[in-house]
Amino acid sequence: MQGMLVHHAPMQDIALPAAVEDIVNPSQRLSAVHHLDIYRHSYIARLRSCMQSQFNALAYALGPELFELFADQYLDTYPSESYTLNTLGEKFAQFLQETRPDAGREQKENWPDFMIELAGFEYALSIIFDEHTDEQPAVILHDTPDEMLKLAPVFHLFHHQYPICGYYLGVIQSTAPELPFPEESYSAVTRHNYKLGLFTIRGAQYHFLKNMQRGDSVEAAKDNLVKAFEFKRAELDKIWPEWKKGFIDAGFFVFYEPS
Amino acid sequence: MSKIGDNYTNTLISLPNPGLGLGLRSKHFNHILEHNPAVDWFEVISENFMDSGGRPRHVLRQIAERYPVVMHGVSLSIGSTDRLNKDYLTKLKLLAGEVKPLWISDHLCWTGVNSLNTHDLLPVVLNDESLKHICTRINQVQDFLERPVVFENPSTYLTFKQSTINEWDFLRYMTEETGCGLLLDVNNVYVSGFNNDFDPAHYIRQLPHDRIVQMHIAGHQHCGTHIIDTHDRQVAHDVWKLFNLAWELTRGVATLLEWDGNIPEFDVYHAELLKAKEFMSSIDGFGITGEQEIANDDVVSNPVNFLVNEVNW
Repeated sequence: MQGMLVHHAPMQDIALPAAVEDIVNPSQRLSAVHHLDIYRHSYIARLRSCMQSQFNALAYALGPELFELFADQYLDTYPSESYTLNTLGEKFAQFLQETRPDAGREQKENWPDFMIELAGFEYALSIIFDEHTDEQPAVILHDTPDEMLKLAPVFHLFHHQYPICGYYLGVIQSTAPELPFPEESYSAVTRHNYKLGLFTIRGAQYHFLKNMQRGDSVEAAKDNLVKAFEFKRAELDKIWPEWKKGFIDAGFFVFYEPS
Repeated sequence: MSKIGDNYTNTLISLPNPGLGLGLRSKHFNHILEHNPAVDWFEVISENFMDSGGRPRHVLRQIAERYPVVMHGVSLSIGSTDRLNKDYLTKLKLLAGEVKPLWISDHLCWTGVNSLNTHDLLPVVLNDESLKHICTRINQVQDFLERPVVFENPSTYLTFKQSTINEWDFLRYMTEETGCGLLLDVNNVYVSGFNNDFDPAHYIRQLPHDRIVQMHIAGHQHCGTHIIDTHDRQVAHDVWKLFNLAWELTRGVATLLEWDGNIPEFDVYHAELLKAKEFMSSIDGFGITGEQEIANDDVVSNPVNFLVNEVNW
């Protein structure tokens, strides 16, 4: 029975070990095949709906018909193996990469790269939303000494070839964003009071925060940024107060008391 | 039944009746936390919370401090031939330890085999072999969880030629063999009865009423040739009549309204639940009208997209 459910191909195209009529009873109003079709129809419609919930921005970007096509093929290729629906789309970005329409062509199109990045970003957000951690209230003041700053327990950085975070925010804020052209972008995602915060950031900020993610203190992160990108330390120190205020306001930092 | 099974039975018959409850849905989190509505208890979908380290779990902790809670699962897959998922059971037990539910329930169904999960509540073949198989697994689950588990009759859209036992008898045998309890979903009986040509009132009369610890009521969609259990609207009048019959036969047990698609504002949801009070006393005559609004075929059974996290900003 399961084999008849998990592929959305027409019944006549599925190799069955026995006729449906030999397994399922007909009723007063429906044939055996019609009874089974109720399950078949609901299986794909139900999971497609979950995919749309999990990939809201991607569904907007692709349009309903194309999204449905990709989602149905994905569910055929990677049927769920988990008791939780929250991981249903875990391999969707990978699937889009594997099945990109320009695969094998020398000249690549741009839009598949955008869709793949967007799918990966949306799935990442759903994981971050439910990430296990002890959330700490943000009690950082703007004049908190640098050595008492550390990154928030839920803090993730993203680097994309398209303005993914901005596009995503545009979709959820219903601003009807256009499909973007390639443009390197950086973003940070935090969670405070169990709600996500999304922020587009600059490349230098991304690398600075990446250094802190690797364990650097504020000073060490600045040093490594200067070294890696040949920045002038004086200029970095000049803009640091502005960065610090922005990072604290965005909830990137929590209080750290060195032992 | 073993002595442990007897213990489960004893535990079961001493379970309280918390009254009229609602399903806890993320759409209503803020309303409940802010207004503390006068709902007797909440039923939570176990899978929505067992893996959560974020807001769903955080909210559930607060709800469980204020209201009695029951844990209702959709992934136990008691009828499957795959091994029981120990990882799932371990998380279920951990969540129960935290939430302290009045009881834990799931469905008489299977959700998949060969490691796949269809996320549907698929019907089981009802015969001696499957009864033995399922009772063995119920015993294993109850022993692992160290408590009786309550099983719901699913809405079904087909019956198998290999089935030799009526579903109401199958459920009774399950309770007798394992000490498990029953969650009578009145709407599911109505839906399955229409789809599979049996009398829903007869079904309810045949059940072991002393093992029913909870009832579900819900809305469905009539499609002319069949009915889909959509949980997306008000309860049909015929289902209320069946509820009245079940209420009398069980002498009243915990009752919950399910609403999983097109979920309305909290007050609308609560008001629909409170209609149950109108059907707790005798009504003259018992006749199902079968009068329903007919819909197109584009409806889905057991909607599950409410099981996907709604990411909050």
